[in-house]
Amino acid sequence: MSVPDTVGPQVTEPGVQRAAASDRAAARPPDLPRRMNSGQRRKLRTGLLFISPWIIGVVVFILYPVIYSISLSFTRYSGMEAPTWVGIQNYVTAVTDPLVAKAASNTIFYAIIAVPLGLIVALSLAIAMNQNVREVALYRTIFYAPSLIPAFAMSFIFIVFLNPQFGVFNQVLNLFGGANVNLLGDPTGVKIAIILMAQLGAGNAALIFLAGLRNVPRTVYEAARVDGAGPIRQFFSITFPLLTPVLLFNLITGVSGALQVFTEAFIVTNGTGDPDAGALFYMMYLYKNAFGFAELGYASALAVLLFLAGLALALLIFWLSRRFVNYDVEAG
Amino acid sequence: MISRRSFLTGTSAAGLALGLGACASRPASGPNTISYWGVGAADKDKDEQVRDAFLMTDAGKDAQIYIDQVPSSGVADMSQIITAVRGGTAPDLWWMDRFNAVQNASIGLLEPLDDLIEKYEDVSPEEFKSQWIQFAVDELTYDGRLYGLPCTTDARGLMYNEDVLKDAGVDLDLFDPSQHTITWDEMDDAVEKIVQQDKRGNYTRFGFAPWLSEGWPYTWGFGLGASAYDNATGTVTLDSPEWQSVYELYADWAERFPYASVDAFFATYQPPNAPPTQTAMFSGRLGIDTTGPWQISGNEKYAPDLPLKFTYLPVAKEGDPTYTWSGGQCLVIPRGANITKTLWEFLKFYAGYEGQSRVVPQYGNLPTNLQAIEEGKYNPKAELFRTMLPNSTSRPPLPVGSAMWDTLTRTKSSVALGSSTPEEAVASNQQMIEPKMALFPDYKMPETYGKPSPVPGS
Repeated sequence: MSVPDTVGPQVTEPGVQRAAASDRAAARPPDLPRRMNSGQRRKLRTGLLFISPWIIGVVVFILYPVIYSISLSFTRYSGMEAPTWVGIQNYVTAVTDPLVAKAASNTIFYAIIAVPLGLIVALSLAIAMNQNVREVALYRTIFYAPSLIPAFAMSFIFIVFLNPQFGVFNQVLNLFGGANVNLLGDPTGVKIAIILMAQLGAGNAALIFLAGLRNVPRTVYEAARVDGAGPIRQFFSITFPLLTPVLLFNLITGVSGALQVFTEAFIVTNGTGDPDAGALFYMMYLYKNAFGFAELGYASALAVLLFLAGLALALLIFWLSRRFVNYDVEAG
Repeated sequence: MISRRSFLTGTSAAGLALGLGACASRPASGPNTISYWGVGAADKDKDEQVRDAFLMTDAGKDAQIYIDQVPSSGVADMSQIITAVRGGTAPDLWWMDRFNAVQNASIGLLEPLDDLIEKYEDVSPEEFKSQWIQFAVDELTYDGRLYGLPCTTDARGLMYNEDVLKDAGVDLDLFDPSQHTITWDEMDDAVEKIVQQDKRGNYTRFGFAPWLSEGWPYTWGFGLGASAYDNATGTVTLDSPEWQSVYELYADWAERFPYASVDAFFATYQPPNAPPTQTAMFSGRLGIDTTGPWQISGNEKYAPDLPLKFTYLPVAKEGDPTYTWSGGQCLVIPRGANITKTLWEFLKFYAGYEGQSRVVPQYGNLPTNLQAIEEGKYNPKAELFRTMLPNSTSRPPLPVGSAMWDTLTRTKSSVALGSSTPEEAVASNQQMIEPKMALFPDYKMPETYGKPSPVPGS
């Protein structure tokens, strides 16, 4: 997606950027191995020491658990006795387990609706937060406030909100003559309720969109206005293209969060995922296997499969992003 | 001005101190120290009563007992206890749902008690175990070894609101357990009379549905002769015709009383996580429910004036034997516990006559200790459930108990919702559990499982 020529010096064509980068690379002498002098070594040591909390954190809390989980996925392990090697048995079981398919389809259903809807809601909020009015700070606070409510509290609010007799949802339904429904008692309804619940946390993504909106140079809009572009044309030809890097970030974090949806479903279904496993999301089934059925090996295999699915989706999004993400804007 | 070296040394030392401080350890252990995990803050006073009584005895006079309440976040969520055992901070004694004992024993989470019985008791293990009702001992037995001592128990029956039944014109004698055991056909008629709907089709008063409350597949399965596991052949039998008839029962009732409408009724008058006072039964909108003796204390506390009565579960035809099943709690010693004579004495005291006669009447359940049962150490209103005990049994003590419960419950909602047929439900149950049970080849439940459990005075 290209930007009109009227954008001025702050925006450059991608081809020009790439050519300049390749010229710089050609001018640089080839890298030669260099010995560090004692001052540099001391600086390196100090630097490493400063980031050592991070290094320890990554190694202890991320790297080690990931490697341990991968190794456990090839074992039968209850958490107590020594793990027993079972090869790829856990993966074979996962492929044939009808509940894995059910949990995966529930999660995909959630992701397909919740992620795009979340982006639209967040972008709408960001645009609303970006209006040039005096009381904008108040609006920003109001729009962001629901994101501060913890997921478990939000779940309880929704249980009341959806109450068939007293909840606002059914009161509105009754105005149109509909019979009371319990959305949380229906396998599809409960998923939709959880998707709606997630939208109240869109404030975080909205803040990132807002930062992106503030980064779009005003001169671009001024030039567009001079050329006769209205607000809608400005949004689709300037705002949206220049927000795509932020959109990519929110898309990837949104997909990652959607694959791991757990808390809301755990609370509204009392940990069961019912009715009819309608809210049995992948992470819930993984959790059940690990801590309900003491099958940590199988749960680890499920975790590895989730990791691979997440990785594949992230790579797919990055690949697709070359077609829709525009990095032309610089900080203005 | 602080130097860079001092700053780095200081921050490293502070980080190390914080890290070490975060590694909390269990209270200092000694021959008389016991750390105890209960499972509910509401029951802390009961634990403390037993502790205080034990401290007055010779065996307990030097004991130091630390009580913590560590509720589980799910029916069979073992994350806290597994983490504590692996982290070396396990309690010495743990109050646990007895149903999970065999599964927890099979993964090595619990210490067997047989050696302790031989070491500290003058009687044989068999004689020692005979102090408790047989089905509760069976539920704690894995591979011939005992992994805990039973505490409370219960049974399942029907609770009905006499006012609602009378108002609907139902003959109350049908529900009087001293005169009659109600049949499914009679239930159908009674429920039709009770149900009321508003002009939108919403239920405003409801009779009964078999999938509600304690209407688990096991509940009706025991009445229809369904068994989950064949000891003789070592096979899972969840796809038997008897199990299919359990799911047909759900399907038949769901056809008459659609799941969504019943669900909307309950979500209205008894929403999830509602306070204990807010139930469809207490508000006079529900006629009959499947429940157990634990309900009695709630009835006394929140609806003392309502005429709530109990009777047996419905049978197929007049003259058929009554049926039920019992759950309950137990005390176990997790692996890594500080096993001492004092611990053994406290365990024996709590799960024995002394402890049960103190706490069981407060729980509203029934004791498992035979002497406590014989001496009536329970709420007198639970007498009907006490008479059910000799012919009661537990859920099958299998190492895949949680997974089996999970799948049976899930397919129950599938059939009630109409998204699975009874045939599909039983096939799915078998498919889920068979491979898990295959990891325990030739597994045998105790020989006495499913047989009558003699109770003195019955």
